[in-house]
Formats: sequence, structure tokens, C-alpha cells
Amino acid sequence: MRKVSGIVLLLWIAAATAAIFGPVQALADEIKMVGAITTIEIAGPDATTASATLKDNKTGELVTVIVNDDMTLDKFKDHRIVPGDEIRLKYEVKDGKNISKYFRKTAGC
Amino acid sequence: MKRYLIALSLLVVAGAAAQAKEHPGKAYIEKNGYGGPATCEAQECHPGSARKFLDTVHWKHASPVTNVDHLEPGKEYGMKNRIYTMCNGNDIVNNLKEIPPNPKTGKTKFTGCNTCHPGDHIRDVGSTGKEAEAAIDCLLCHSSGYDFRQRKPFKDGKGRVVMGQDRSVKAAMAVGKPGVKNCMVCHESAGGGVLIKRGFSFTRETDVHAGKGMVCVDCHGAKDHKIPTGFDPNNWANDGVRVACADCHGEKPHADEDTNRHVARIACQACHIPRTGGAVAKDFTRWTQGEDGFFEPTTLRMEANETTPVYAWYNRTVANTPTFIGPKGSRGDRQSRIYPFKLYEGKAYFDRKTGTLLSMDFAPPMATGNTLAGVASAAKTLGIKEYDPVPGWQTIYFGSSHLVTKEKALSCANCHAPNGALNFKSLGYTDEEIRKLTSAALYFDKMAEKQKEDW
Repeated sequence: MRKVSGIVLLLWIAAATAAIFGPVQALADEIKMVGAITTIEIAGPDATTASATLKDNKTGELVTVIVNDDMTLDKFKDHRIVPGDEIRLKYEVKDGKNISKYFRKTAGC
Repeated sequence: MKRYLIALSLLVVAGAAAQAKEHPGKAYIEKNGYGGPATCEAQECHPGSARKFLDTVHWKHASPVTNVDHLEPGKEYGMKNRIYTMCNGNDIVNNLKEIPPNPKTGKTKFTGCNTCHPGDHIRDVGSTGKEAEAAIDCLLCHSSGYDFRQRKPFKDGKGRVVMGQDRSVKAAMAVGKPGVKNCMVCHESAGGGVLIKRGFSFTRETDVHAGKGMVCVDCHGAKDHKIPTGFDPNNWANDGVRVACADCHGEKPHADEDTNRHVARIACQACHIPRTGGAVAKDFTRWTQGEDGFFEPTTLRMEANETTPVYAWYNRTVANTPTFIGPKGSRGDRQSRIYPFKLYEGKAYFDRKTGTLLSMDFAPPMATGNTLAGVASAAKTLGIKEYDPVPGWQTIYFGSSHLVTKEKALSCANCHAPNGALNFKSLGYTDEEIRKLTSAALYFDKMAEKQKEDW
């Protein structure tokens, strides 16, 4: 009986821990990938947001991210970053959307 | 305080004026189109600019260098011909070209150190004459509307590799003083990727000057396209004009005289640039294959602001050996001040016979990963017939003059403490001096008083 109570207590602690920390951890998770841009969608020169789709080099899957940072948006607008460029990307999932946190071309000279 | 207010007022006025001022000549461009430097020089607008530009570091990628050890007298140095381990190639051995096909994918691509040269590659680094003048890509640096899809290498009908340019009327109509992005197009991607080489970004978040709306050329203001630079031990080529913090801030920039006394022996950067970043090490003998099949030098990257600098005495002369490029100076040398440096280590091939560092053509290793083939190609270009390549390391001290902060500057307690930011022992102080220099007794009363005033 004592053994069963111990197991129940352990399970309860594990469940409580997951309930408290699980969602926070999931929210804070940053996903990293490297891949080539397949499409960039941006609504004109005054756009304050854009979406870019990249093909993950490792999995081959297409990942679409929302880009909000001014510097990357500017690079989309004057085509310093174009489809075909390979990108090192970090993004977070918020409300079901992939939000870019880091969007850099891998290439240099 | 008064000086700052005047400087700030001037900046605001100058900024407003610059924004309000329309670049003249746009009607001419609309009517006649844009034809490169000839258009800029038309109607006596910028006469002789193209010819003068050919004599700058931005065109020659080299200059006379007077403060570096072991250089050949009379020879010019710069990214045109230097051999070091951040960029193990240079414009000569790693000239822009189409690399051999990757065996796995069959794909090829264009690459080369002179990709950033503002010519069309046919008229390349250091070229002279009327054709070179006509090939200058003025708008690359002077247009805020440049379409970078045009600036791509391609092969012309004769099989020559040409660098495209945007010479559209639209780009020309957006002509003006270079903005941050015009400079960063090249300067942020040097060394093999974004923020790799120098490891600084110039944004509102990372630099107090950018936070005030300043752009690169507010400090690096050119005359005849000769651009003032500092004394980075690893940035040798220069236009013969220099820039320093004191040019604007003076020799007594602080309200507090005790802090001002530091200026004589401690560079502004030491306290006001407490962080650095970018690549900390690279291995040119072992390239890593990417998912696209191509290879890149194996590189340890850090973000801007992610690493701390090292501090050393520097009298603006440079030690240059195959295994070390860095500051010369000492406590006893009154020309020396303590500066922060970004420390970098690079692995590459040395010639066992002579001890000299060998350079590399990136085309072979980029396609196949064969680094010795890259060394062989570079040796052939340079006419080196005999060499015995052996891997080795080189340490480089990069100057650290960006990522300037006021709010997060080092304060008394950061340095004057045991195991503080400065290693007084390595800087040449005695144990007795260090005991005094690392005690809170030095500044306690003054800081306690200041703390009372602040709160």
C-alpha cells in the first residue's frame, strides 16, 4: 500500500511539473534550421512584415516563417536576400505561426 | 556639457538638412538616363571623381602600409595580396570565378574574394584608365534604391566572369550619401558570412552612435573617396587618413577628472566596447560539407556581443609573423594605450621549409573539400614551385572599435577588482601595484558619494 502511494505521489509530482513548466518550455523553444528560400512574399516597399518559405536542408520539408525585423525586411525589399539564397534560421512557434528570430544568409566572401 | 550640446545640435541640424536636401541633377538623370560615372561627372557635378576613386583602398584593395613589421618596402598591401588566416585567400589567388562542379550534385557557383570590388570584374582590383573609370559602380555605395538582383556574377559572350551592376534610372534617382546598408552590403559579410569577420553589427540596439541615428560615414567621412579608418592591427590598407574617438569627443570627454585621467593610457574603446563577437576560430585545412554539397571552412561563430575582448598595450604599430598578427606596445612605451581586441585563431597550411603561411584558392576545396588542391592552385598562381604544406595555427588580434556603449561601459569595479576585466599582471604591473589597483579602496568613497547623488 505504501509502495503504491509512493508511485502515485511521484506521478503526481511529474504531472504537476509538466503542467507548470511544460507549456513555458514549449513556448520558449527555438527551432534552428538551414535551408534555401523557395519563396518570399512581401506586400510592397512599406511592408512591415513578410513571409518566407524555406526548404529544410536536412528534412526536405518546407517551412514558412513570418519575418518582422526591419533589417531582414529591408534585405527582402532591395533583393539582397532572394529566393535560392541559403539561410541560417531560428524561429519560434507562437499561436500556431512560425516567427523568425534570426534570419541570416550563410554565404559570405 | 556645453560641447556635447553644441555637437548634438549640429548633428540634429545636419541630419535634418541632409534629409530635406534633394540631391541635384535628378531631372538630368530622368531625361538622359543613367550611364555610370559619366552621368555623375556630367554638368560639372562631380568632375574627376572617377579618376580619383581609382586611387583609393576601395578600388585598389591595397595601399602603402607603414606601421606593420616584416613588409617589403615600397610594396602595397591589402586584401588584394595579404595572406592570413581569417581569409586564407586574397583577390589574386582567390579571384572571382566559377568553381568546378561538385561531384555529388554536379552544381557549380561563382565565388572569390573580390566579389565586393566595386568594378565589373573585367576592370578589376587596382585597374586604371578610362575603362576602369567607366566601370565604377557608384550606385552600389550611393543609392538607397539599388536592386541587388542586378549585382550578380555571370559569364559574358567571351566566357569572362562579369559582375553585374544596377544602372537603372530608378536606382540613380535614389542617389545620395551612403547609408549604413550601403556599407554593410560588403562589410557585414566579409570573412565567410554575416558578422563573421569583425563580429559587429551597427544597429540601434548594438551601438550608441547608431542609436542616435548616425551612419557609418558620419565618423568615416570621406574626402575624394578617401575614407578615414582607425588602427586595427589586422586592417592594414588605408587611405592615409585616420579617424579617432577624440576627433569628436576631445581628450577630456568625461565630466569627472579622475575618469579623464584614464584617457592618457587607456583607449576609449577599452571601457566603452566591453563586448565583441564574430568568428573566434576557423580551420582552413578541414572544410565542412553543407547540405547543398559545397564545402566551407570549418568556423566557430559567435554573435555580435557574445564574447569578451582581450586587452593589450598598443602603440599603433603591428607585430606581423606567420603565427601572430597583433599589437605592439608596452606599459613603458608612452605612445601605448590599453585597447580591447577581438581574439581570433586560424588554422591553415604553412610551408615546413620556410615557415611562411601558404594561401589558398577556394574554388577546389569549395567544390570537393580538397584543401591541398586549393593550396596547389594558389601556389601555381603565385609561381611557388616548391613547398611542403603542414597545418598550423595563427593568432590574430582584431581591433574592436564598434559596438560602442555608454550605459554598459565598464566602470571602476569592473577593472579595479581581483580577477577583473584587466589582467594587470600581463599588462606589466608589479604584485604590489596590482594589490593597490584591484582594491575597492581606490574608488569606494567617490562611488559611494555618487551613488548617494544618483538615488
